[in-house]
Amino acid sequence: MRRRALKEDLRLKKIIKNITLADWTLLLVLLVVSVAGIFITKEALPRGTDVTIEINGEPAYTFPLNVDRTIPVSGSYGDTLIEIKEGRVRIREAHCPNRICVKQGWVSKGVIICLPNKILVIVGSGGGDKPGKEIDAVTG
Amino acid sequence: MNNLKGDRNLYIAALLLCLALFASCTAEKESMYKKSRMLMDTFVTITVVSGSADEADEAIEKAFSSIERFGGLINFFSDKSEVAEINRKAGMSAVKVSPATIDIVERAVYVAAKSGGAFDPTVGPVTKLWDFTKKKKPSGVRIRNNLRLVNYKNIIIDRDRQTVFLKEKDMLLDLGGIAKGYAADLAVINLQGNGIKSGLVAVAGDIRAFGSRPDGGEWKIGVKNPRQKNGSDEIIARISLSNKAVSTSGDYERYFFINGRRFHHLLDPKTGYPAECCRSVSMIADEGVFADGFSTAVFILGPEKGLGLVQSLGMDAIIIDNNGKIHATPGLEGRFEIEENH
Repeated sequence: MRRRALKEDLRLKKIIKNITLADWTLLLVLLVVSVAGIFITKEALPRGTDVTIEINGEPAYTFPLNVDRTIPVSGSYGDTLIEIKEGRVRIREAHCPNRICVKQGWVSKGVIICLPNKILVIVGSGGGDKPGKEIDAVTG
Repeated sequence: MNNLKGDRNLYIAALLLCLALFASCTAEKESMYKKSRMLMDTFVTITVVSGSADEADEAIEKAFSSIERFGGLINFFSDKSEVAEINRKAGMSAVKVSPATIDIVERAVYVAAKSGGAFDPTVGPVTKLWDFTKKKKPSGVRIRNNLRLVNYKNIIIDRDRQTVFLKEKDMLLDLGGIAKGYAADLAVINLQGNGIKSGLVAVAGDIRAFGSRPDGGEWKIGVKNPRQKNGSDEIIARISLSNKAVSTSGDYERYFFINGRRFHHLLDPKTGYPAECCRSVSMIADEGVFADGFSTAVFILGPEKGLGLVQSLGMDAIIIDNNGKIHATPGLEGRFEIEENH
């Protein structure tokens, strides 16, 4: 048993001894490529799975769309309840005069706006679409 | 030995090449920066293309401030605005105002004159009789009475003295039908003055685009479906734009129903009642102020007369008439696409 371990040890030493500059270069290149990969995929992947809540034009919260939760947000007309459930988001309760935001119902992409409370709920990039079909703004 | 040295040099060269490749990936790249803010009682979103997040942020903030200042001058509902002062002094005296106010009032009168009064910034006395949140339709008598006060020709602008005067007492100047487009123009001038080459300013649905997207393509603007039924048919068409403005007037923004008839906020200044020939009009012009003003005018005129006006102005438009038919001017060919679900 012991002899076998010793043999393994010797073999490893031999490998380390035989490592050339080319091996070190390869190792370094692989390291660089894998670190770069983290940044590249982060940039390239579409981010359509977050809910961002803006209050008064300032981003206040960001939540993942796949975790169910209810968030109370205070505005000019008291607390507004924003609900995330099963990959969708809605304004469950609001005390603004017209409650247009509540009537809009569940949204899985795009934006819910509550003007009186100055609350903006954005799913993903705010109107994210299929690649190449994305829209920069909407008129109307 | 010599051979080994040569190998080493080769490896070092390969290593440097790899590092150079990696560095080129992380070099400063132009991307889009986007921010929204509540201004002029609506959501304003500014998108800019820039190589630096700080530069983009600073330019966007300055553009927001320019919109905020302008909004303060022309706010119809604020007692402190210059427009409120002009309205208070109606029939009494001329009011000295800032250059931006003179400028926009001149443009409002120009749009009114070109459209034969289909757009009229003095329609306020009639508009205030309608209440679209309480579903209140005024009586015919009250509408007729107040229609006498509606006439853009009674706006007297004195460029030399920098004054605006409304000839008749109780006249009301309301620049709401043109101000958002003008604000988009102001923001674009401001962004360009701060070194931004490309961007998009959206004051609610009044949009002005300049330069191109980071991928070199034109900006893609969705046109809202005036009869949206669900989440999947929000957009009825797409337009590609560069260095143009687009605005839409639609009967779906503020409205109520009485006996199945839709009463909306786009009132014909000649009758005092909502114009009924269109569902929506999207106007494409060089300047936001004209896209905004003429979209209302063309909506009031209806598809036939409206298209005539659009072409005489050398502008472009997409008109959705009251049967849902989409009319587009020839100038939009190749840059306009109707969605598959329509």
